[in-house]
Parts: sequence; structure tokens; C-alpha cells
Amino acid sequence: MPGLGTSFGRGGATTAQQDLQNADCILIQGSSMAEAHPVGFRWVVKAKERGATVIHVDPRFSRTSALADIWVPIRAGADIVFVGALIRHVIENELFFRDYVVNFTNAPVILREDFRDTEELDGLFSGWDAEARRYDPSSWQYEGDDPSRPTKDPSLSHPRSVFQVLRRHFARYTPELVERAAGISPDLFQRVADALTAASGPDKTAAICYAVGWTQHSKGVQIIRAAAILQLLLGNIGRPGGGILALRGHASIQGSTDIPTLYDILPGYLQMPRAGTDEERLAGYLEKHRKPAGLWTSLPSYVVSLLKAYYGKAATPENDFGFGLLPRVARDHSHFSYFNEMMDGRVEGLFVIGQNPAVGGQHSRFERKALARLRWLVVRDLVEIETANFWYDSPEVRRGELATSDIETEVFLMPAASHVEKEGAFTNTQRMLQWREKAIHPPEDARSEAWFMHQLARRLKQKAEASGDTRDAALRALDWWYPEDEQGEPDMHAVLEEINGYRVAPLEGGAHHGERVAGFDQLSADGSTACGCWIYSGVYGPDGKNRALAREPAGPYGHGWGYAWPSDRRILYNRASARPDGAPWSERKKLVWWDEAAQRWTGHDVPDFQAQKPPSFVPRPGATGLDALRGDGPFVLHEDGLGWLFVPRGLKDGPLPVHYEPLESIIENPVYAQDKNPAVNWYARPENPFAATADPRFPHVLTTYRLTEHHTAGGMSRFLSRLAELQPELFVELSPELAAEQAIVNGDWVTLVTLRGAVEARALVTRRLRPLVIQGRTVHQLAIPFHWGSAGPVRGDVANDLIPFSGEPNVNIHESKALTCGLVKGRRPPDADFVAWFEALTRAGHGDR
Amino acid sequence: MAIGDGTRSPNQARHDFVAKQVRVGFFTDPSLCIGCKACEVACKEWNGVPEDGCRFTGNSYDNTGQLGASTWRHVKFLENDEPLGWSFFSDVCKHCEVAGCLEACPTGAILRNEVGAVYVQDDVCNGCGYCVVSCPFGVIDRRPEPQPGAGGAYKCTLCYDRQIAGLTPACAKACPTESIAFGPLDELREKAKARAKELQARGLTSVRVYDPQHGSVRGTHAIFLTLGDPRRLGLPRRPQAPTSYLASAWAAALFTAALAVAGTFAAFAMALP
Amino acid sequence: MTSTSVEEPAGYYGAPVLKAPVWTWEVPLYFFVGGTAGMSAVIALSSLALHASVQIARTALWIAALGAALSPVLLAKDLGRPARFYNMLRVFKRRSPMSVGAWLLVLFGAFTLPALALLESLSWLARAGIGTSHATGLLVVLLAGAAISGCLLATYTGVLLGATVIPAWFLHRRFLPMHFGVASLGSAASLLLLAGHDARPLRALLLATASTELLLGVLLETGRHGKADRALRRGLAGWALRAAALATGPAALACALQHWFVPAAVAFLGGALLARYGWIWAGRASARDPEAVFAAEEL
Repeated sequence: MPGLGTSFGRGGATTAQQDLQNADCILIQGSSMAEAHPVGFRWVVKAKERGATVIHVDPRFSRTSALADIWVPIRAGADIVFVGALIRHVIENELFFRDYVVNFTNAPVILREDFRDTEELDGLFSGWDAEARRYDPSSWQYEGDDPSRPTKDPSLSHPRSVFQVLRRHFARYTPELVERAAGISPDLFQRVADALTAASGPDKTAAICYAVGWTQHSKGVQIIRAAAILQLLLGNIGRPGGGILALRGHASIQGSTDIPTLYDILPGYLQMPRAGTDEERLAGYLEKHRKPAGLWTSLPSYVVSLLKAYYGKAATPENDFGFGLLPRVARDHSHFSYFNEMMDGRVEGLFVIGQNPAVGGQHSRFERKALARLRWLVVRDLVEIETANFWYDSPEVRRGELATSDIETEVFLMPAASHVEKEGAFTNTQRMLQWREKAIHPPEDARSEAWFMHQLARRLKQKAEASGDTRDAALRALDWWYPEDEQGEPDMHAVLEEINGYRVAPLEGGAHHGERVAGFDQLSADGSTACGCWIYSGVYGPDGKNRALAREPAGPYGHGWGYAWPSDRRILYNRASARPDGAPWSERKKLVWWDEAAQRWTGHDVPDFQAQKPPSFVPRPGATGLDALRGDGPFVLHEDGLGWLFVPRGLKDGPLPVHYEPLESIIENPVYAQDKNPAVNWYARPENPFAATADPRFPHVLTTYRLTEHHTAGGMSRFLSRLAELQPELFVELSPELAAEQAIVNGDWVTLVTLRGAVEARALVTRRLRPLVIQGRTVHQLAIPFHWGSAGPVRGDVANDLIPFSGEPNVNIHESKALTCGLVKGRRPPDADFVAWFEALTRAGHGDR
Repeated sequence: MAIGDGTRSPNQARHDFVAKQVRVGFFTDPSLCIGCKACEVACKEWNGVPEDGCRFTGNSYDNTGQLGASTWRHVKFLENDEPLGWSFFSDVCKHCEVAGCLEACPTGAILRNEVGAVYVQDDVCNGCGYCVVSCPFGVIDRRPEPQPGAGGAYKCTLCYDRQIAGLTPACAKACPTESIAFGPLDELREKAKARAKELQARGLTSVRVYDPQHGSVRGTHAIFLTLGDPRRLGLPRRPQAPTSYLASAWAAALFTAALAVAGTFAAFAMALP
Repeated sequence: MTSTSVEEPAGYYGAPVLKAPVWTWEVPLYFFVGGTAGMSAVIALSSLALHASVQIARTALWIAALGAALSPVLLAKDLGRPARFYNMLRVFKRRSPMSVGAWLLVLFGAFTLPALALLESLSWLARAGIGTSHATGLLVVLLAGAAISGCLLATYTGVLLGATVIPAWFLHRRFLPMHFGVASLGSAASLLLLAGHDARPLRALLLATASTELLLGVLLETGRHGKADRALRRGLAGWALRAAALATGPAALACALQHWFVPAAVAFLGGALLARYGWIWAGRASARDPEAVFAAEEL
């Protein structure tokens, strides 16, 4: 998310799945799209039928590779080597789209003199504080005082231009390095490079699709950054058949970062205020985050409108609109952080809603044990998942590591309504809100999340009213006005209205508020508007149409079906599909262009630009907001209007992607002395050990993946016979070569071992996994799906028992896609003997971290 | 293709084939199949087909095994080593033009409906099992205990109930890439021929249309493309409807019966004093 | 898996191409019972019409009638839904051997049971002074009906198996009706011999059917179709079929030639029953043998 957000301005896919059919080349990496997004994959198949080249880069030959033109087997964790080499290839061979790069990206921008690249500091950038384990990004900034008007060299030859810095940065990412470090032959690399560069230019475009195969790494954000750089160099962003499609989860993962369940951001990607800084006051917060140019100039109106949505009448100009009532981020409050706290007995209670950390959480053995330290646990789900029954039937109980009689956690299992039994919107991977109507009432006591939260809020508010405690002020201030039906379900249309935004002053006496706003440009900072999520504003406009519910598509981009934020733009940054002078780059790739006669932007999509700003527009000195952006700057959330090849701020681990080895690796970093991502959070504790590099006990590379037939931690698929019978048992895919080495036959039981756990699985011996030659040695890769647990009709060991937890520096995501493991033929010992066996096996490690 | 055009595809749009008695069928094109098994699940969901075994087979990703009384769509997975490839093939009842099961059925439970599909009337079937040994593709079977509806013979209905309501079969509706195409049989046959030519031109020279029209089955209403030898998919190359064996078998039976009667008469006649 | 590899299983992971017959023990037993009963009616007709041995005719008709009564019970028991056995008579389909057989069985019963009733009441009628010539005439007509439907009942089961997709069966679709017919005739004669009717026609029939069985067995053994019908020579089915052939052929014949008609009859009956089971078992194995299916279609 911040990979795309910092590169382009918004943390979301830049394009729509349907637009893939317009691509001339599609690179799928860090994803098995056909397996995880089968319905969206139909557009890749359509592209292929129209002659596009489809490339799939993946450690395993998956169902996606089966339909690709080129499959590239890659060592898990070497993605930046590969994409970095593509970047180098494009630069060195002058295959970049020059006009696009010079005008629409910060390639020509001159950087500060004191910037030092990883080439000079052997894997670190300037500004690294080794003790605090943190970068100071000041040396990464543009030269000059005004980031919205940077100094540029359009010839791209200035040694401190971003372009030249980029070139030096990736100079050693050669095809030879790709072969050594990623296991990909130079011929195969060349094929991919040729396919991508051939599909670039004024009348060709290429798209990149990725998913958690890229994000779930200790440098996940930077992998995506590398793709962003490549796409900017090839001129593919904002153009039809181009862009980067972040393939996010179906059940509204995009929605759950837009209106977040994350601790560190507020709806619409506003930052949470940080404790102990000037951000504790509204003025300080706005000062810190507001930008003089671009859409972030209007930050005050977004923030104040959000506060009005939260606190209603209790939010006034005098009390900073209730800003002081918001929680403050004191430190890392992410999943692993609080599970650590939980293990140490410092968390009393937990709500687990639509999640199954006992199976889906990394280092699941640790997580299950941590759950046992809670005083109370509320689980909402459709079935009795492992997180709900860990106290009497987990592997730990069976193995004697936990005793039911000693566990004091009070577990409340509350039945949840399924997706057809509730009303509301999902936001899918292409930022589209689609409203779901309720088909039937949920059975008996099952209820929707909305009902649960609404009823919980009402009760908590009541308690807060009664308590009079200052600590409960925020609850008392909450404006909880939603009407409810006879079942106690809140009116979701009312909630959507608030998300959309309205004028606070009521139209008539009895109403709660006034008319809805038409978009976020109608929000104000004086408290006269309220808006639950500024990027969604416009979904439920004053004409009364719930555009998320609309189902009448028209035009090539399906406007009239659902609502894509922002403002129903299907392709973001689409100003870039036209030349700096406003004419399309080509007839074939027309999307949005300047209509000189009508003096406005027009085309097949809603322009992601001020509609009436001419291409030739130059901002007046002192202009702010969107008026401070030029007519040829498509990236309107950046104050310079440019796509950022080099990210001067916003990322904790560097302005450019760097190849770092996975936290558990079979080799040392072949490029730099700095082996791993310096800013990663290791969550160091004895229960979370990492194997040292090339530990002979764990000689193989392991990656995890999901199957089409199952859904994440299995709560919705293992308990359903229709799906369970398609994939009834846990298996691990391995190559015939590795199988032969250990006399393993297809279907045999094998056990995978890491320092965290051991799981048994059936061996699926297949040529679709193959050994790679890395640094002159043969390395085997294994791949295991992670859907099984100890409950339900089809059971199996929990693959996540193998994986440590760690936190990527920017978003705290774990690294599940590249680690090392050992392989043992045969089943693991039965539960009664497991602990002793495992401890003996993993004791006396040399240099474990 | 504009967004929304998909809602008007023959796999999605409403139709009146039953009222107009149009012969329909399936054309399954493995070159578009991604092996997602949505067809298997959609079929089971709509038709209430019971679970028929949670077994890990180790046969690539195919744990379903085969078509049968409780599996009416079955995705086959073939891994090729050289060149490395993985193909997926969604198998289904062929709804033969001359259907062995239909001819064999002594109760008249199996009939051909308005759209030309071979359909088992579950309320008539008494589970004699003769259809089971009359299908050259090994599709139809008798459902064993303890599954619901046990004792009767079951197979794909071409979603007859959905078609009566103007809807398309569940598998075709669910298939994300339209690898399964539903529609009038004549159109599908043309489409299959054209697609085979197209794929051959792209270098897949062993692509053929699988629609055995030259044997006694006389063509099927569910046609496929096969890449290479259909026997690798467990499909017979020359399926025969067993009615083609009747003449020779009955001749032998009648001859023997006559001979037995004559012989017995002779034996008793010769013993007459 | 390469398609050229020798040790790879045939077809799709070695999975069956066809479905195995679902019939249980009642069906081969019915083949034996119904077939014996059918040919027994032929003997009853012959005996009455020609030899004027009412005793043989009477016993033979009892066998026929008991078989006619037992057969539908056996068949209904094997049905997946026995309560719906009557649906067999919803339609008549000449292209379905099972439909034809169902109707043949009905006809057989319709002739045999009244015939038996009539025969048993002949003596009563005679004592009552009612003219027996009309009754005997009617009895002959009924027996004729029983014999015609009966001889077809004994042979149609071969068509039932032969007109299927199972290679071991359809490759022997001419053999099976002949074999089942001959075995049925010989079984009927054997039963009657064992019932104490040591008559020359019955001995002659046993001798003739045992000789024919020997000939048929040689033809089967020499007329192999390689992989396509290897189920007949492998496993349990292979042992059963060979033992059965020996019993109904050489063993019964040798005994008969030595005038040891009781052992001959026992051997023949045992072989005839075992053969039915052997063919069903062979059918199951054949259906599950993909190589057989592929080999058969190359013939």
C-alpha cells in the first residue's frame, strides 16, 4: 500500500481488473492470479486472446503459469534483484519512454548534495542511525526549499538527478546477478525484458499484477516500489492496459484499509496523531501533514469533517473539533506487537472478528499460546474455528504444552451472519465499492458485524454516560445516531450517507443532518460538513442514488456499475494517458484527453485531474492546493505533481528499493554488506528464533501460497464439504530431484521443520517445482499451502507453525513468502511425543538469532 | 469488449430454449480453463449433490477422482513434463446423441428432453443399474448408501430445472473464463471447429474437437477440445453405444434357444419306443 | 508424467474409464435360477407332448414355477429402490435387453404358474369326471408359452451382459447367450436327474450339453482378445471361470460317459452356478481396467 502510495499518491491499485484486457503485456509476480483471483483472471485470458504476452514469475509453476506464455522460476525473496535488473536493462538500453519520464516523473529532479546511495554505503542510505535503527530522511530531499517546484534537468544527465542516481543505484543488478542470486538464466531474463519493453511506448502498454507474494516480505513495500519505478520508466501508469494492479483480498481488504481497521491510519489514509509530538494538537497535526500543493492542501477539511462525523455536536471549533479525543499512537500497536504483549500477560481481552489467528497468524504455535493468556476473548465467526476452541482442542493441548484446566480465558463465540445475510458495501481490489443487499435474515442468533458494533457501541456509550469518567469522554462524545430496525440492525444506508458526507445543519427540525455532499471538494474545515471517509465522498450524492448499488454499466470502463474511489475514476492518474500538451499519446491508447473546444478534459474515464485545468496551466506563485499543480502534472497527490521514481519521504527503509536477503536465507546478500533490511522489526524474543544464514539443518527455501479451493485460514472452506472434498489434506509441493535425494515418493508423508515448529504433510512430487542454482549451488524450493487446522471435518497441521513473525518497517507485515526449512521423510511423532522430539531436533543451533 | 458485455454472453443471458425446443449443449475448451473448479462447486451447490469422499489422491490437484453419481462436473489435471505444462479439463456427461444409458433404461426413467439433453427422472428410477454398464464414458452411476437419494442413478441434468426457468446451467454460469460455453449445439459445434483451427494455427497441432460423430454414439451434446491423445484424459477414442451390439447378441440368443428346444424335443422323441 | 513413458499407468492416472456393474449376489443367482427354470419348462413341454412322462413333466414344471416365483424376488432385492420394482413394466423397450427380460419374466410366470396349477389339478379333475383332453390341450398350450418364454429367459441374460460397454462382456456377446442357454438346459436336466428321474432323454441332454460346454470352453480359451478381455483370465474371476468351465465341460462329460450321472449332474450344476458369478466378477474387473477398454476399441 505505501509502495503505491508513495510512488504515485494513493495506496491502491492504479487500474481495474477489466482493463487488463487492453494490455499488450502482463507481468504477474508475487501472485498466482488464476488461483487467488480466478474471476479477475478472465481479463488476463482475454488479453492473451488478443495477443498479449503473459509472464508469470513464481517459485512454483502454478495454475497461473499454465496459462502464461513465459514462466520464470525465481528464488523466493529475490524479487528486487529481478525487477531491479529489468530497471537497469531499461535504463542502460535507453528503452524507457523518454517523453513520459521527463515530463511526468521526478527523473529530472536534482537531489541534495548530501544524499548517499547504497552503492556508496554498501547497502545503506545516508541518514541511518544504527542505534535507533531508523533513517533520518532529510538527506533524501530534493535540492531547494520548495518541493513543489524542484530544480530539474530535462536532459537527465545531471549527476544528482534522480535518473542518474537511479542508474547508479541499479548498475550492479545485471543479468549475471539475476542468474547467481535469483536462479534465472540470462536467456529467460532477456525474453522477459524484451516482452516488457516491446509493450511500452505511445501505442503499447504493459501491466503488472501482484499480491501478497510481494507484500509478505521483510522488504515488501520496496518490492512494489521497484515495480512502480519500472512502470514509470516504461510510461505505463495512468494508461489503458497499463498500471499496477495490486490484487487485494476479496472480502473488502481494500475497504479495510480505506476505512481502516489498522491502528495507525484514519479513514481516507489520514495519519493517526502520534503521542508526545506536536501532533497532539490539531494545529500541530495539520502543520505536520498538510501539503502546500496538491489534494493534501485540503487536509484540514478532510480531518475536521471526519471529526464532525465521529463526534457530531460535541465537535466544536473551541475544542479542536474533538481532535483531543482521538487515540494517539504511542508505539507499535500492530498484530505481532499486541500478541507479544498478550503472551507476556499484558492484554486482558481481544475481539477476533472474521479472522482465525490460531491458523492464519504467523508463528501460530506462539499465537495459540498467547491466546491462553487472555482473560477474555470474543470470537465472531460462522463456525467454531481454532481460535475459539484452542482452549480445549489445539495442538498445544494435545501435546501437553497447555492444559485446559490452567487456561483462564473466557471465550465468547458469537455466531456471525454470512455475506448474503447482511447489507453493506465491499470495496474490491480495484477500489470499487459494490453494495450488497440482504437476501435472507441470518438464522437464530447469528448477527452481522454492523449489528454487533452498533449494539456494542450503544451499550458502551450507556456505560460511559453513567460513569462520568474523563477517560470515557470520547465514548460520550460519539455521535451514534444511526436508526435501527426491529432486529437492532443499524441502517447501513445511513452509515453510507455519513461516509459520503453531509452538511451538518439539519434541513428540517427532526433530521439529524442536512443534504449530502457531492464530493470531497465540498468539504470544509469550519465544521459545517461531516464526512466519514473523504476518498469515498461522492458515492451517495445529493441526487439520492447509492452509486455503489448501481448496476447499469455503460462505456468501456463500466461507469454505472458500482463506484470506484476517488470520484469514480477507474484508472488513476489518467491525465498521464495524454501528452503534456493534452493530446492522447496515440489513438490506440486513448483514455483521457484535453478537448480544446470545450475547454475541459474528456474521454473514456472520469479525468483524475481538475476538469477544466488546461494542459498548459502554470500555477501562480503562492497558489495552493490543486491550483499549485501544473497542467502537465498527473500525480495530483504529490506536491510536485510527478510520479516518484525516487521517494524522498514516506518510507522508513529508503527512497529506492534495495535487494536485502529474507530474514532466513540460504545465502548472504550477494550485492551488499548490509545483509537484511536494516529497519525491519525482528520482534526479538526467545520464542521467535531465526535460523542463521545457510544453517545446514534448514537447507531448503520454503514459500507459502493459497489454493483456489480454500480460503485463508480455512474457516469458510474446511468446514464446507463442497470445498473440503476438493482439497482434503495438507500437502507440500517439491521437485522430483529433492524427492529422489530423500527417497520420497508422491503421496508419502513428510515433515517440514523450522526453528518455530514442525508440520507433517503429504508430498506432492511435481516438476512444477524445480531446483535452482544459486551462487553455484543447487538449492531446492518447497511450497506449502496454509489452510489447515485442528478443527472441522478436514484437518491437518498448521503451516504457519513454521513461520516466525517479523515486521516490515512501513506496515509491519510479516515475511511468510521466503524462509528456510528442513525436510524429513515420514510423519512427525504423535502429539504426546512431539515437544520432546522437536526440542531435541532444534536445540544447539549455531548462531540462531 | 466493454465492461458489462459479459452479462449478455450466452453463458449469462436468459433464454427460451426449452420453449422453442432448441438443441443445446456444452463446449468445453481446456485452453481457457484455469482449473479453479468453480464448475464442480456450482454444480453441487445448485443440484444439492452430496459429498462423495474427502480423499487425497496425489494425482496433481485432482482429489475428485472421476465423474459419478455424486460428481457431475470433474476437472482433470494433467501435468506435462516436457515441455513443462499443466492443462485442465472439465469433464461432464456427454449427453450422447445415441445414449447408451437411455437405450438401456428399462423403466423409461431416462429420456431426452426438449433441449436434447439426456435426463434421469429420479422419481421413476428404481436403481436397476443397467445404465451404469451402458455408458461408454463411465459417467452415470448408482448412488450408494449412506448418501441422500441412495439407490438411484444420477448424472448431469444439463440443469434442466434452470433451463426451464430460462437460466443457464450452473457450471457455465460460474466459469470465470467461459471455458465452458453453453448455447445452441450447432453454434457450439461451429465454435469448436473454429477454435481448434485457431489453436492449431498457434502451434498446438494436436488439438482436436472431441465429438465422436462417426461411431454408434453419433455425436455428443457436450463437446470438447482435446490436446493430444484423449486417452490421457481417460476418454475412449471410439466410444460405442452398446445398442450396436444387440443384433449379434440376440442372433446368438435366438439361435441357441431354438437349438435348445429342438434338441430337447429330439432327446425325448428318440426315447420314444 | 510424459505420454511416452512405459511405466506410467494407462489413461488418466490409471483411473477406470467405465463404471463397474453395481449388481450384487442376487443377479448371478437369478441368471442361474431363471435360466434353469426356463429350460426346465422346455423339458416339461417336450416330456408331456412327446414322451408322455407326466412325472418328469410335473417335476420340471415345479422347477419352472419355483424359479418363476423366486426370480422376481431376487431381482427386486438387487434394485437400488426395490419398492419401485413395478416400474420395470412402465414401458417396453425392445432395444433394452433388461426391458425385454423383465417382460419375458412376466410372461414366463404368467404361463408357468397357471400351467402348474392346471397340472396339479388334473388328477382332481379326472376324479371329478371332467374331461381331461381339453385340460391337457390347454396345459400343452400353457407349457408351450412357458417353453418359448423360458428358452429366451435362459439366453437373454447373455444378451444383457453382451450388449454393454464392458470389454470382457461385449467381446463375447455371441458366446454368452449360447453359454448361458446351454448351461441352463444342462442344469435343468441335471436337477431332474438328481430328483430321481433317471431317464434316457435326460441323460442324453446332460451328455449333449456337457459336450457343448466343452466345445464352448475350448472356443473361449482359444479366442482370446489379449489385454481387452484379460479380466477373464486374471484374479478371482479367472479362477472361477476356469473352474466352472472344467466342471460343466470335461468333468461332467467324463462322468456322464462313465454313466456316473449323479456326479455329472452335481458337477454341471456347480459349474453352471459358478460361471454366472465368474462372469459378473470378470465384468467388474474389466470395467476397472482402462487398458482393456483402450485395447478393445483398437480391435
